[in-house]
Amino acid sequence: MLVSKSKGTNSLLASEKKSLFRFLTLYVLMMMSIIVLIALFYYQNQEKMMFLSKRDTLSDYAYEQIKKLKILHNTFPADNTYPRDPRFKSGIYDLEYVKIFSILESDDIDFNKDMYRTSDNKIHFVKTLFEYYLGAKYLFLEIPDDGDWREETWENIFIFGGLAIIFFTIIGFYIANLFLNPMRSSLLLLDRFIKDTTHELNTPLSTILANIEMIDTSSIGEDNKKKINRINIAAKTVSQLYQDLTYITLEQDIHKNDEDVETKALIENRIEYFDSFAKSKDITFVLDLKKSYIHINRHKWTRVIDNILSNAIKYNNRKGVIYITLKKNTLTISDTGIGIELTKIPFVFDRYIRFNHSEGGFGIGLNIVKKIIEEYDMKIEIKSKPSEGTEVVIKW
Amino acid sequence: MVRIFVFVSIMLFSSHADDAYERNCIKCHEVLPFSLQEIFMRYLAAYGGENNVKVGLDHYFKYPAKDISVMSIAFLNHYGIDHHSKINEEELKQAIDIYWQKHKVIGRLK
Repeated sequence: MLVSKSKGTNSLLASEKKSLFRFLTLYVLMMMSIIVLIALFYYQNQEKMMFLSKRDTLSDYAYEQIKKLKILHNTFPADNTYPRDPRFKSGIYDLEYVKIFSILESDDIDFNKDMYRTSDNKIHFVKTLFEYYLGAKYLFLEIPDDGDWREETWENIFIFGGLAIIFFTIIGFYIANLFLNPMRSSLLLLDRFIKDTTHELNTPLSTILANIEMIDTSSIGEDNKKKINRINIAAKTVSQLYQDLTYITLEQDIHKNDEDVETKALIENRIEYFDSFAKSKDITFVLDLKKSYIHINRHKWTRVIDNILSNAIKYNNRKGVIYITLKKNTLTISDTGIGIELTKIPFVFDRYIRFNHSEGGFGIGLNIVKKIIEEYDMKIEIKSKPSEGTEVVIKW
Repeated sequence: MVRIFVFVSIMLFSSHADDAYERNCIKCHEVLPFSLQEIFMRYLAAYGGENNVKVGLDHYFKYPAKDISVMSIAFLNHYGIDHHSKINEEELKQAIDIYWQKHKVIGRLK
């Protein structure tokens, strides 16, 4: 079956984002480790190459210096002037690592290496003497490290390392998309199904609701009144679902028709609408409503309030209470229901996410709420404790 | 009286000035064509560091032998090797320490 992308599923879900983030973190860490290892190997190799290029020259210097030490050894103490050479600095140490004499500029002495770079950017060449002239076993030669090779090495590391990071990041995104495609396809299929079926719901639903309104309840018995009431609740629940589905598939891109909506009156109207549903669970409303205006599309604002109210009724306990407080720029709706676990709260706005399957629905209500809230730069906060209830606060 | 005082003073002074090195080494080596400094440099070239040189000297004095001597074959053939040292352990150690101090290279190069 062909699946087309809709705007509704274009944006990533929080769970999708989490999977993508985890995969990319792991991938980037592995990739960076490999690149760092390669860079380290390359750097050490370049250093070895630099040593190799200077080794012959330094060996020649060492040979000359040893000859001078031999002469001094034979003429000491009549001549006690240590031989100096403008091309290098040198120092001699005995086999117990005691300094005999040194004009080295760097104190970084390592007897275990034959050639190394000191911390202060000098190159030390170490020659071991087989005959200990002047008691010396180790002859250290020192020349400055011009750093040209290092500059070139770092340049190459940054250029090629950067290119490798860009290349592997692109590959990473491609692989991540491959992993996420099956999940995304399922969501697109569901979207398509909902869109197709929504059209078919409108006419029968309108007919049911209109006819229930027209029934003269005074002429029928108490038993039948209850039955009609139940049909009314069921029809309104389906209507609510229909409104959400219509919104998500057809109307979410409507930005026009914003007006100053008086929220107090709207809430009272919606409570009346849900009254029969609330009464079926013996739920009471405790209201503290002040007059408040908000510049918004009335239909969208109704969707927000309806979804929160409908959740507060659906997930409330029998004989529960719903508190609604409306202040100038804040609407608070809290219930005494089953609540939500703390770890699940960040995912309540994801589409098709339902933590409780005892009640009907597709799990799209709070996703719609979040979209509208974001569209109008409002803020929504959910506080909840399992078995105690949930509080939804909207600020604008 | 004055002569006796001067003589006693000189004797006392000279006996105090003699150390283990001077008492036990210089006298014998004065007759050899190689100075003690030259011999020291041979030890230094063969043994390297201070402890090694001292251990080498100590060993040679206790167990003198041609094959461990630092001197040339020609020298050994002409002068032979020294007999076993008669000086006591402490005196030998003092003499070697002084010998190192007097002839060492460390601190004398410029």
